[in-house]
Amino acid sequence: MTPRVRVSIRDLAKTFGQGPREVRAVSPVSFDVHEREFVAIVGPSGCGKSTILNMIGGLVPPSGGEIVVDGQRVTGAPPPQVGYVFQKDTVFPWRTVERNIALGLEYRNVPAEERAARVRQAIALAGLQGFEDAFPATLSGGMRQRVALMRSLVVDPEILLMDEPFGALDTHTKLNLHAELLEIWQAKRQTVIFVTHDLSEAITLADRIVVMTRRPGRIKLIYDVKLPRPRDVIRIRESDEYSREYSEVWHALGEEFRAVAP
Amino acid sequence: MTRERLRVLAWQLLILVAVLAAWQYLTGIKAISKTPGLYWIDPFFISRPSAILERLLYLMSPRVRLTIWQMALSTVQSTVWGFLVGISTGFVAGLVLGRSDGLARIFQPYIVAFNSLPRIALVPLITMIFGFGLLAKIVLAWSIVFFIVFFNTFQGARSVDADLIHSARFLGASERQIMTSVIVPSALAWTFASLTPSISFALIGVVVGEFIGGESGGGLGYLIIQSLGTLNAADMMVALFVLGAIGIVMALGIKQVEARLLRWRPEYQKR
Repeated sequence: MTPRVRVSIRDLAKTFGQGPREVRAVSPVSFDVHEREFVAIVGPSGCGKSTILNMIGGLVPPSGGEIVVDGQRVTGAPPPQVGYVFQKDTVFPWRTVERNIALGLEYRNVPAEERAARVRQAIALAGLQGFEDAFPATLSGGMRQRVALMRSLVVDPEILLMDEPFGALDTHTKLNLHAELLEIWQAKRQTVIFVTHDLSEAITLADRIVVMTRRPGRIKLIYDVKLPRPRDVIRIRESDEYSREYSEVWHALGEEFRAVAP
Repeated sequence: MTRERLRVLAWQLLILVAVLAAWQYLTGIKAISKTPGLYWIDPFFISRPSAILERLLYLMSPRVRLTIWQMALSTVQSTVWGFLVGISTGFVAGLVLGRSDGLARIFQPYIVAFNSLPRIALVPLITMIFGFGLLAKIVLAWSIVFFIVFFNTFQGARSVDADLIHSARFLGASERQIMTSVIVPSALAWTFASLTPSISFALIGVVVGEFIGGESGGGLGYLIIQSLGTLNAADMMVALFVLGAIGIVMALGIKQVEARLLRWRPEYQKR
């Protein structure tokens, strides 16, 4: 039995601007994301992968096609069961770590006691103990992104959209966050759509990889990652399967990187 | 206190003493020894520290009808009221117009026009409308502070990071919650940054108001104008020193408040 489809993308297209300034960002693309699945979207910059994510989240209206999340067509406002982690630092600078993580619970009027307990748990999970009362300005980029991640996770979204959340971090911090993300995901198994331009990140994390072409983005191929779970983010890179899968996708992706428009 | 700070403080004190001593000394030397009233530097215009101190003590004593304390209190009161009313109205107006493109477009020419009008030109009109009392001074201070705060808050409300609003929405915020948890704090950060100039300008507005406000309005500006009428440089200097002291205390106080309110900013973080 195949798991149920949670996010269905049907003939989704996006065009920015009008007339001679018209830019086709996304050519019609279609794919499904299933319950408990971790899907990565990879492609050269400007291929519209972030735009697709923004359309799923209801931030950008599609020019054509539709997105259906749990049977409901996405129009305008973000669907309530969807969480979003931005590439940009979106931690509220005037709130402490603790109060940032509590945001979603405050919005949902979760009682103070339960709120405190869940925030405490999230802080422990992210290894942020001792920084509860720190303001974001005192934290490193990696810690700020941890706060943003926990802020999204603390409200238990069933579907998590992630737009290059670790794009601005150094390799070491990135690997640590990969390990933490996988650990959390292994426990909760949210449906994740993860946009990145980093192929090794995609292979390390995802079950399936949607490889996009250059603009206007089309689907070049959808690749099933066969690496066993749970994965060790460091060890996995030394395995032969990893290398083989990497070179297979890299071959497809490389054609897109090479084919720069004149 | 570190040695470095001590050294700076010592120099600062030394300069103060040197200036006061030179002032006192130079205004005491006659240009031509026998002719009375001819000085190298005439104390008639700039007075002397000893004379200023004498007048200060006299004006502090209950022998005068209007003590320097009463005048200072009147000035401080009007400044604080003008400041508070200016901050709150400026904030609300800036927030409303900053979040509404339609209103901003309609009001823009009026705001620009009113703001480019030198506020001093309004003093007689404000006096005509609000009389010679405290109220006219408060209105004058308000009319300056309002625009400083308005423009800052307006800018702040416009430049709220759209991604912060988006992330709030994904966390389940209602429109009202987005207002209170994202837009107001973002705009307030800009408002707070305008507190220091606001308090200085409120004080300027009040003193200008007191220049023509007459005795019923009182205040240190009144003392200055009165001293001009009687050609009394010592009283004028007393008023200036007290005004200076008030300005310093207010500015330092506001700096403290600002550091507290904006303690999350990188520049206020302890290293």
